[in-house]
Amino acid sequence: MSARLGAATRPTAPASSRLRFLRRNAFKYGSILPLAVFVLVFVAFPVGQLIWMSFGDITLRAGNFMWEFAGIDNFIRMSEDPLFANSLRVTAVFTISGVALTVVLGTFLAFAVDRVVRQAQWLQNILLWPAIVTPVVISVVWLLLLSPQIGLINKILTSLGLPTQTWLGEPTGALVSIILVDVWHWTPVVFLFVYTALRGIDSSIVEAASVDGASYGQRVRHILLPLLTPALVGVTAIRVIMSVKAFDEMYLLTFGGPGNATSVITIYLRSVFFESFDYGYGAALSVTVVLLVIVLMVATLGGRALLRRKARG
Amino acid sequence: MTVLPLLWMVVVAFQRPRAIINREWTFDFALTNFMEILSPDAVFGAQVINSVVLVIAATAICIGLSAFASYSLSQLSWSPRVVLGVLAAAGVLQVVPPMTLVPGLFVTLQNFSLTGTLGGLIILNVIFNLPFAIIMMKFYFDALPKELRESAYIDGASEFATFWRVMLPLAAPGLAAVAIFIGIQVWNEFLFGLIFTRGGDEAPITVGIATLVQPQEIKWGPMAAVGTITAVPIILLAVVANRQIVSGLTQGAVKS
Repeated sequence: MSARLGAATRPTAPASSRLRFLRRNAFKYGSILPLAVFVLVFVAFPVGQLIWMSFGDITLRAGNFMWEFAGIDNFIRMSEDPLFANSLRVTAVFTISGVALTVVLGTFLAFAVDRVVRQAQWLQNILLWPAIVTPVVISVVWLLLLSPQIGLINKILTSLGLPTQTWLGEPTGALVSIILVDVWHWTPVVFLFVYTALRGIDSSIVEAASVDGASYGQRVRHILLPLLTPALVGVTAIRVIMSVKAFDEMYLLTFGGPGNATSVITIYLRSVFFESFDYGYGAALSVTVVLLVIVLMVATLGGRALLRRKARG
Repeated sequence: MTVLPLLWMVVVAFQRPRAIINREWTFDFALTNFMEILSPDAVFGAQVINSVVLVIAATAICIGLSAFASYSLSQLSWSPRVVLGVLAAAGVLQVVPPMTLVPGLFVTLQNFSLTGTLGGLIILNVIFNLPFAIIMMKFYFDALPKELRESAYIDGASEFATFWRVMLPLAAPGLAAVAIFIGIQVWNEFLFGLIFTRGGDEAPITVGIATLVQPQEIKWGPMAAVGTITAVPIILLAVVANRQIVSGLTQGAVKS
C-alpha cells in the first residue's frame, strides 16, 4: 500500500499525475489543514507577538498598544529584578517540596495498599476526586479549613484548648499551606499511578525472589523500585509541569502574599501584566520562563533516554 | 482524608451565615446560601450556562481538529520528521504555563474583537487542550492495524469513508476518554476566564466563585454553595466514567 502511494507521489507526467496526486492525498492534507490554520493563527502568531513584544517598550494608548524598540532593555531589567528572582525561588521551593512530598507519600501509600488490599475499585474512585475537582473549588475547600476566622482547623484547635493558627497570614505559614494543599491535591494521583504500575508487575518475578529468600525490604529495593522507575520518572515529570503551571490555588488562597512569600512565577507575571501594565517587560519575563521550561523538558527527556540506555545495559 | 475537606464545604454551604462565622460548633441547617446564588438577579445562572457552553464547544472543536489531524499523522504515511515535529510542538505547548502566553493571546484576540466574549474563551480553551488531544488520539490511532485501512481502501471506500466508517468507530473508546478529560479541564479552567472577562454574566462559573473571595470580605456561605454546585458534576463524572478518566490521567503521563 505504502509502495503504491509512493509511486503515485512521484510526478512523472506533470498535469495528470499532479491531479491524481491531489486526489489521492486530498484527505491526507485536508484533514491536517484545519489544525494547521488554527495553530498558525492562535498559537504561532501569539508566540511571535510575544517575542516581538519582549523587545519593545509598550504603552497602552486609547486601548491600542504602542510599541517602541527597546533592544534587550527588558532582559537586562529582568536580571536585576528582585521580585522575579523571588518568584523563581518561591516556584522552586513550592515545586521541589510539593513534588518530592507527593511522589514519596504516593509511592509509600501504593506499597502499603498493595500489601493489604486486593480489589479497591471504590478507593480508586474516591482518590480521583481531588485531582479532577475544580482547582478553584479546592481553594474554597481549603479556605474553609485554614481561614483564621472561620476555618475548621481553628474550630478544632479551640475545642482542644490549643492556640489557634494564622498560617495564611504569615510568610512561612502561607508557603507551607500552599504546599500542604498541593500534597492533598496530588498525592492521590501519584498513588493511583504507582499503584497501577505496581499491579502491572509480573508477580512471578517477585515470587521467584521470595523463594530465593529475599525479604520484603530487599524485594522492594532490588526488584520493585527498579521496575517502577519509568513510572516514577513519568509521574515526577508530570508533577513538575503542574507545579510550574500552578496559579489558581495561590491566587485564591494567598494572592501571592503575605508580602511576596507565595508569589510564584505565574502570580508575578499576572501582576506585571495587569497591575503594572508592563507588557514589554512581562513579555520578556514570559519568553524567559518558556525557555526555562523547554530547557527543563529537554533535560528531562535526555535524562530519561540515558536512563533507558543504561537499563538496557 | 480525601473526602472530609470536601464534605466540610458541603456542610458550610447548608449553614446560615451567622452559624458559619460562629467560633463555637453551631449547626443551623438552611438553604439561604443556595437561595441567594440562585436568585434571579444573581449572575450565577448565566455563569453556569457559560461554563456548559464552553465545555461543549471547546471539547467538540478540540476533538474535531485533533481526530482528523491525528488520524492523518498516524495512518496516512507522513514522514517521521513531520510527525515528530508536530508531537514535539504539542509537547512544548503542553508544558508551557498558559500565563506566559497571555500578552500574545491578548493582542491576537483583540485583532478579532474576541476579548471578553465566550467565543474568545472557547478558542483559548481549545488552544491549551489541543496538545493533549493530538498526542492521545495519535496513540489511539497508532494502535489500529494498518491492514484495516488498506482492505477498506481496496474494497473501494474513499479515504474519508474509511476514516469515518471504519477507523473512527474503532477509536471511539479512546475518543470518549479524551473528550471526558478535556471536558473536565474546560469546566475547571479559571485563568483565562479571570483575565479575559470582567467577571460578570459573561464569565464562567470558576470566575464567579472567585468574585465571592474578596480580600476585604469573603462571602463564605454563597462561596461554599457555588463550590458545591461546581464540584457535583465532576464527582458524578468520576463515579460514572472512572475508567476513562484514570486512563486519561495515567496514559498521558506515560506517553508524553
